Amino acid sequence: MKQTKNNPVDLLLRSLAKGWHKSSWQNGSVCGGGKGNFSEHLDADELNSYAEGVAPAAARVRYTEHLADCAACRGIIVSLTQATGTAVRDEVSDLKSGLGFFQKLAALFSPAVLRFAVPVLVLTAVIGISLVALRQPRRPELIARNQRADSSTYVAPAKQTELPSAPTNQAAPATQKGSNLAATTNASKEIDSLKNDKTGAGGGAGVVATKSAASAPVAKDADQPGTVAGLSELRPSYAPEPKAAAAPPPRPYLSDAGSIALEKEQSAKREEQERQRDDIARSQPSAEHGPNRSAVPRTGGLAMQRTEVLTARRAGPSTSDKKNKGTEVESRSVSGRRFIREGNAWVDTAYESPRATVKVVRGSEQFRALVADEPGLGAIAQQLDGVIIVIWKNRAYRIQ
Amino acid sequence: MKQHIEPIENVFTEGANRLLARADDYYSLTGETLIPRIRATVDKYVLRDDPQAPTQVVRDFIDKLQADDLCLIVACEHGNQTAWGELVERFSPTVRSAARAASSSEEAAEDLAQSIWAELHGLRVREDGKPAGKLAYYSGRGSLAGWLRAVVAQLAVDQHRKQLRLVQTEEDADFDRIIQSGQEETIWSGHGEVVNPEQEISKKLAGAEMEKALASSIQQLSAEDRLLVKLYYFDGLRLREAGAVLGVHEATASRRLTRVHAELRQQVERILVEEEGWTKPETEHAFSEIGLHLEGDIEPLLRTESILMKKENEIAG
Repeated sequence: MKQTKNNPVDLLLRSLAKGWHKSSWQNGSVCGGGKGNFSEHLDADELNSYAEGVAPAAARVRYTEHLADCAACRGIIVSLTQATGTAVRDEVSDLKSGLGFFQKLAALFSPAVLRFAVPVLVLTAVIGISLVALRQPRRPELIARNQRADSSTYVAPAKQTELPSAPTNQAAPATQKGSNLAATTNASKEIDSLKNDKTGAGGGAGVVATKSAASAPVAKDADQPGTVAGLSELRPSYAPEPKAAAAPPPRPYLSDAGSIALEKEQSAKREEQERQRDDIARSQPSAEHGPNRSAVPRTGGLAMQRTEVLTARRAGPSTSDKKNKGTEVESRSVSGRRFIREGNAWVDTAYESPRATVKVVRGSEQFRALVADEPGLGAIAQQLDGVIIVIWKNRAYRIQ
Repeated sequence: MKQHIEPIENVFTEGANRLLARADDYYSLTGETLIPRIRATVDKYVLRDDPQAPTQVVRDFIDKLQADDLCLIVACEHGNQTAWGELVERFSPTVRSAARAASSSEEAAEDLAQSIWAELHGLRVREDGKPAGKLAYYSGRGSLAGWLRAVVAQLAVDQHRKQLRLVQTEEDADFDRIIQSGQEETIWSGHGEVVNPEQEISKKLAGAEMEKALASSIQQLSAEDRLLVKLYYFDGLRLREAGAVLGVHEATASRRLTRVHAELRQQVERILVEEEGWTKPETEHAFSEIGLHLEGDIEPLLRTESILMKKENEIAG
């Protein structure tokens, strides 16, 4: 410890000690208290008990009084204290070196060690988890959206087979009202889940997939291929209609690069599924399965284009009835979507007539921007001529 | 009185039996052989300071005695050769180590160690026919190894004092001459300045009065504080070592020393004003001047005294 050098009392004490040293050396005496009688000094037992700190309190006070005035006993006490300290340290080191495995293990998990180790471990774990969470890519978000898209893809044909014979635009208002109410409930959940999904929570993926799957049967009255497709219908009446002449249509919930990648992935996946389906159908002998409808020459590059004559679904429940009636509707399937020819326009089967559309003129800047953002739409526009009404990402586009 | 004695005796008897039970090897000792030693120890450490000490305090005190060491020493005192052999075998290294620490040479250390065993056994014979050795003074309160070190140190100091009385060595005389020359340089040449003799005498008188007041103030300190001052300034110990003697941490010793400085200054000022007739401004001025004066005065000594040199290094950090 550092003492104040300029402290006058400190300097005075040093001066006093110097004089005391000189006199003690000159006199040959080491007893500062003037008590020359050695029998008055502390005996070995008292010195030892004082140095080891085992003297009773009252006796210790008495010994301290003596030591303060007796340099000889102080000298012995100092040497004993230093020797005792050394001995204690040796004993401790011997004790540590002689510990067995279980004793060392017990010492490792002793409260004194754990008191410091546990907070350190907890802190390390928290930091580690935080790092893992921060470094985790946004893969789960993409997976979740893919599942939703898949579910809509696979659900659609099943629903189409169950479609009622009545045309979509002639659906009963009451029933539709009720179904819309149910769909609203489910769709609001869907929106919430999508919001959660947008925040990047990994757990949201499963939630989205589950909810979309659960809401599919409810939304079948809406005559939509997927439940998510009905979301645009849930827009409140006071919501502004999308402007056709305005800049590129606002994207419902995806605006970052991840959404673009997602959409590209979705369209690519859809095309891949179509291709696989074609390959399977082509590989099967026509004798067993009838005429190969997919053997139609392909005009497009990536997407399969089929032209088939189907009975008007909206006209009757079965195909034979439709044929009998002679009301045939031309339909095409492009990029996994079915289009029905209505006059000069190709109308997406998922489209409902009162729904507002975003008009996009081919070759316009808006069209190019849309095609750049949505390559799937570009493929559809390329393979279908004339006016196209397509539902894409819950939004109805009118490409003309 | 008799009512008080009887319970104490019972406590001694019970304590002796418990002590024998605690010992790993009791060397065929009985409770009766231990009771006189236990009684002497209790008288020395407990009843001397508190004659009416409760029996529970006495009982606790006995239970804290070193059972193994005390049984070994009592057995040695009773002439048990096995115990003697074990004592010598176990504690020879301790005795040699203590002797080396207390001696200036290896030969002197060996002589000292050999003389210790004779002192322990006792060259004279007591009235009961047993040797009057130092073994009779081991109480069992502290460890036997520590007690042996203390015995060695006491014997070394005793021998050293006898030698100093007989002859003052040439080395000591040289040392004194160095100190003397250093002081003369300080007084008459200082730092090469021309010194006014009247001022110098006046300063020295004032310094002498201050030192006297300081010595008186030190005596008025409490025993612990006085011991700390002696250990630090007079014995040249570091604060850590001084704290170890007092059983306190170095930081505690430092704080205590700072407090002692303030107390001493107040006490010195009071003595100078009340007993020496100084005025308050004079004491203030003297304290402010004393720093420069004593600092110049103390440095030659610091060059010669290694102990004070160590302290200076400690102050410098």
